[in-house]
Amino acid sequence: MTIGAMIGDIFKSLFKKPATEQYPFVKTAAPIELRGKLTYDASKCTGCMMCMRDCPSDAIEIITIDKASKRFVMRYDMAKCTYCAQCVVNCKFKCLDMSDEMWELASTTKQPFEVFYGREEDVAALLEKRSTECPEPPANPS
Amino acid sequence: MNNLTVPPLLALLVFPGGLFLLASGLVYEFVDRKLIARFQNRQGPRWFQPLADVVKLLAKEEITPSGASRGLFIILPVIALTAALTAALYVPLAGFAPSFSFRGDVVVTLYLLSAMTLCLGLAGANTADRFSLIGATRTLTQLFSYEAPFLLALLGPAIAAGSWQISEINTYASGQWWMIITQPIGFLIAMVGLMGKLELPPFDAPEAETEIVAGALTEYSGRGFALFRLGKDVELVIGLTLIAAFYMGGLANPLDFLWKTLVLLLVAAGLQSLFARLRIDQTVGMWWRIGALLGLVQLLAILVGRFAGPWITGLF
Amino acid sequence: MEKTSDGKFIVPIGAQHPALKEPGHFEFAVEGEIVVGASVRLGYVHRGIEKGCENRNWIQAMYLTERVCGICSHIHATAFALATEKLAGVEVPARAQAIRVLISELERIHSHMLWLGVAAHEGGFDTLFMYSWRDRETVMDLLEAVTGNRVNYSANVIGGVKFDISPEQKETILKGIEFLEERSQHYMEVVTTDETFTGRTRGIGTMPYDDAIRLGAAGPTLRASGVARDVRTDSPYAGYKLFPVNIITDTAGDLDARFIVRIKELFESYRLVREILDNLPEGELSIRVPRRIPAGEAIQRVEAPRGELFYFVQSEGGENPSRVKIRTPSLLNWASITNFAPGHKLADMPMILAGIDPCFSCNDRMITVRDVRTGQVSNLEDLKIR
Repeated sequence: MTIGAMIGDIFKSLFKKPATEQYPFVKTAAPIELRGKLTYDASKCTGCMMCMRDCPSDAIEIITIDKASKRFVMRYDMAKCTYCAQCVVNCKFKCLDMSDEMWELASTTKQPFEVFYGREEDVAALLEKRSTECPEPPANPS
Repeated sequence: MNNLTVPPLLALLVFPGGLFLLASGLVYEFVDRKLIARFQNRQGPRWFQPLADVVKLLAKEEITPSGASRGLFIILPVIALTAALTAALYVPLAGFAPSFSFRGDVVVTLYLLSAMTLCLGLAGANTADRFSLIGATRTLTQLFSYEAPFLLALLGPAIAAGSWQISEINTYASGQWWMIITQPIGFLIAMVGLMGKLELPPFDAPEAETEIVAGALTEYSGRGFALFRLGKDVELVIGLTLIAAFYMGGLANPLDFLWKTLVLLLVAAGLQSLFARLRIDQTVGMWWRIGALLGLVQLLAILVGRFAGPWITGLF
Repeated sequence: MEKTSDGKFIVPIGAQHPALKEPGHFEFAVEGEIVVGASVRLGYVHRGIEKGCENRNWIQAMYLTERVCGICSHIHATAFALATEKLAGVEVPARAQAIRVLISELERIHSHMLWLGVAAHEGGFDTLFMYSWRDRETVMDLLEAVTGNRVNYSANVIGGVKFDISPEQKETILKGIEFLEERSQHYMEVVTTDETFTGRTRGIGTMPYDDAIRLGAAGPTLRASGVARDVRTDSPYAGYKLFPVNIITDTAGDLDARFIVRIKELFESYRLVREILDNLPEGELSIRVPRRIPAGEAIQRVEAPRGELFYFVQSEGGENPSRVKIRTPSLLNWASITNFAPGHKLADMPMILAGIDPCFSCNDRMITVRDVRTGQVSNLEDLKIR
């Protein structure tokens, strides 16, 4: 029976730096295994849509520009993504991968964290088409 | 020792009675919170946090609960803070001579300090809320348990000094061995008693967050809550000053005051972070079974020392 | 003051209360400080997850079940995956099963550390709370370094797991476990020897052996009453056949015993994690499972950190499960509160509540729907027709 069994801890802590992480000022690096922003390699994609089909949160949309010449654009919503990597498992052609970037998903605007992947001219064409169709501003590119 | 004196009006409004006391209360609250945080290996608040809290609370809307007497609801926090501020006039705050002093002021001071707890209890009982009612009951129960030993503990130095005047005890203490050595039990009881008075952990059963939300102050939101908090901060400063003056060789100058009270605060913060919260029945049991008994033993020892001491030394 | 008709003073805890981090409503009838009656009301956080599973395909449903609980997420996904694999009739590779167990044990460590902090906080011992949560960060970092996520690990796929354990990861885990073991040793000492703390836990909320069985308690709460029952050994699933677990029990049945059982389980988990890392079976990580699961019904019991977790999964041969029923361990343990709270002090209530490690949103399930206005009661079949 003791009184104050944690006296050693509190005494040591007085001379130790706090365990608190100084988060916004000092950023600790994410582990390499971290599942962050999804990356997409449009050149390998065959348009099987398996990633879209099993995504639990509708974060992925593969937009077909030209089925015959295998030109696709992927719209990826980072705020919807649950980072489960099911799409990476599903992709047989290794065109999807989870990077360790972009894990700070906070914003002061309501614009979705959308990313468009694909050949540049395809993305540009798609975005232009969208802006004429709907007056909403296009997504915040990052 | 020659403590400095302050003109009366200044004493009431600025130093040591008014602004200075409020400011030092906030500073001591900050130091206390920071120390506990560091003991728990946390970061702790920034230096202006207590002030920011008070400013925020003062700006908030105060809602008087239905069923409570509105007059009492408003006046009780004011009385509590006033009592605490008044008590400051009789203690050698910051090492200066007490602004007012008369024979027997130690008793008046102690009762002014208790007035705060009584106000807390009344405030809880007034605001007809289940949590505050239980909080009020616990506050008053705790008051009855620590008050007697705490009083005994502070009477020890008074008896040793042969005076009931704080300034005289202060002067006497500085000319002696520190009474923390000659009366260690008294010091311990006084220290723990102060923590009970301020409802600091582990004696925070009256405001145990996980049981009864905020205890007696559950219904207080804005000004009232701010005043009660300020009152507690002020009491912390006064309590530490008293204990330092009585048990740690008196307070001769501001520097003396600063280091002695801060050392005491360090001890208090350590005690606050060491223990699990005591249930109210455990608190009462501890005070009456151990605290009061030890206090009496200490008192007896002092009396024996005081009256038998000269006789024994006279023998040789 | 409000009093019930029989003149009792009721202290409500919840639905919003500092002692509860999730909504649940408890009413304690008190006489002075003594509690004389207790009742519980749940259902504030029903989210319709079971119904939601029916509208998703098998893979998506697994990620949905992972979100039943924020603390024991992996075990829910594992239970669902195991049930689905049972229906599909596939044999998952041993390495995948071992990795599943590894993640479950890391998750158990995380859950028990979290509980230790919460329970200490309920008892007003904030220092223990801060330290145990500081050390819990270690295991959360380990989980992040292994799975890539801190909370919903998403380690499973139907038919296996997504990732392998690399030698560097193994080293990281072993290092973290070593630190945690040392700390757990210390916490064990604190909770069993600190006078102020044992004053709050010894002899509080004591549930005797017979009552524990009668009330159908589960998990560490049950084992603290001396009942040696643990799904991991009673009906080993996933990798537990290869890596057997020793059941930890204590006879006292009070809060102190629940602390001891949970901390001893931490040591058991550390041992298991080390054993798995050293003897990871070779083999594939996953096996192909058809998208359409053959018609049938399967049940799967697993040991979540809080006790026995039960899954019932039904397939009609389609791409979606046709019925998923989940019973979480917290539901089994409420009776231990309402039965053993009376007679204790009001101050003990938060600790008794925390003692079963309750998880409110996990256990809010719907069985029947009653229309408040018409009084009409509809069961699942009626709802399906609508």
